[in-house]
Amino acid sequence: MKLKEVVELLGADLAFGTDSQLAEEVQTAAASDLMSDILARVDVPELLLTRLNNSQVMRTSAVFGIKAVVIVRGRAVDEKMIEIAQEEEIVLLTTPASLFESCGKLYAQGLRSAQPSTDSSRS
Amino acid sequence: MEPRYGKTQELLYELKIEQVMRTDVVTIASDATMSELREILREHSISGVPVVDGDELVGLASIEDLIRWLSSREPDCAVHEQMTRDPECLHADQPLVHALRRFDESGFGRFPIVERASGRMVGILTKGGIIEGVLRKLEREFKEEEIRAYRVSHIFEDLLADYKEIYLTYNVPGKDFDRAGSASTRMKRNLKRLGIRPDIIHRLAIASYEAEMNVVIYTDGGTMEYRISPHEVILRVRDRGPGISDVEEALRPGWSTAEPWVRDLGFGAGMGLPNIKKCADKLEIDSHPGRGTTLKMRIFTGEADEAQ
Repeated sequence: MKLKEVVELLGADLAFGTDSQLAEEVQTAAASDLMSDILARVDVPELLLTRLNNSQVMRTSAVFGIKAVVIVRGRAVDEKMIEIAQEEEIVLLTTPASLFESCGKLYAQGLRSAQPSTDSSRS
Repeated sequence: MEPRYGKTQELLYELKIEQVMRTDVVTIASDATMSELREILREHSISGVPVVDGDELVGLASIEDLIRWLSSREPDCAVHEQMTRDPECLHADQPLVHALRRFDESGFGRFPIVERASGRMVGILTKGGIIEGVLRKLEREFKEEEIRAYRVSHIFEDLLADYKEIYLTYNVPGKDFDRAGSASTRMKRNLKRLGIRPDIIHRLAIASYEAEMNVVIYTDGGTMEYRISPHEVILRVRDRGPGISDVEEALRPGWSTAEPWVRDLGFGAGMGLPNIKKCADKLEIDSHPGRGTTLKMRIFTGEADEAQ
């Protein structure tokens, strides 16, 4: 689905995102509050859902190549997060929905997990 | 919610009329005849011309005026009898978006452009001219970015030496969580410009970021030094922290000395060092309790078979 459909589906507020970014398709997502967990994955999810709202979420996404970040439970994003989102061209959303509810809605619309393996296999 | 503008809209605000108008303006004298007008329009394949009396702009004569005259079957007459008088002019220094709005509101096909100070006609603007100007500008910007990427990715080929290396260092302040990770994200951008393979950049960025976070979280600061040569990148991360008492233990997944606040940041689960080890082709850890830690990682950047 398109990122702008994700915004509507989750009733999300857009903290940062350009029209051309919002027109992009996403197919994979991951949810975690542990950034190291994300960084140890083999595949890169396009969407990251998390309860954490700090700069590290944005840096981790920039390093890992994540397209869009959804902060759940209506937690506020600060100026620094928006600044990094702009700099690194990452879409940043906040939704009042819970992590469970957000994931459920996205899964129902066909989004799937990127391969979450943390083993050391590397091609 | 802040308004968002696409690249094209941005350009319309950025560009001035003078950057896209035609300056080689074809004009016609006000006492020229309508059949002369027809010849001029045909010869230059244009649909209208400013009418001048000496140096002064007195009107606009367009293909519509010509058709109206032709269908009236009146005898040949002077252009100033058929032209549109006192045409609306735009200023050369106005943003393009203003011109576009005037085209929409007025339905006119062209505007003479005058210099604000002197009132002198300096050009003419048509909708076609706007499209051409915006496309030209887009193309130029695209080319500039392409040339920059090309230049960097060929640095190693273009420089002549027996040994070539790019050396970049970053200072990493301890406990500064706003900046934490900025060395690695900046470095990731540099590596892209250097034309290094995306999968290798990915591994480098992860290893670099995990190491940077360790410096920020556990020490009072340190440095990150990148040595980029044609076939490998060596990253040395030095800190003035407490050191690691048992390096082998620290490399075991899940081993951690992190306090709860580190976990609140999304780190501290004992996955950093194992992940660095996974991403790097070679990892050396030199650590002495009380004297700090130095991580040295090597990542080969050549083709897969070279990296073995």
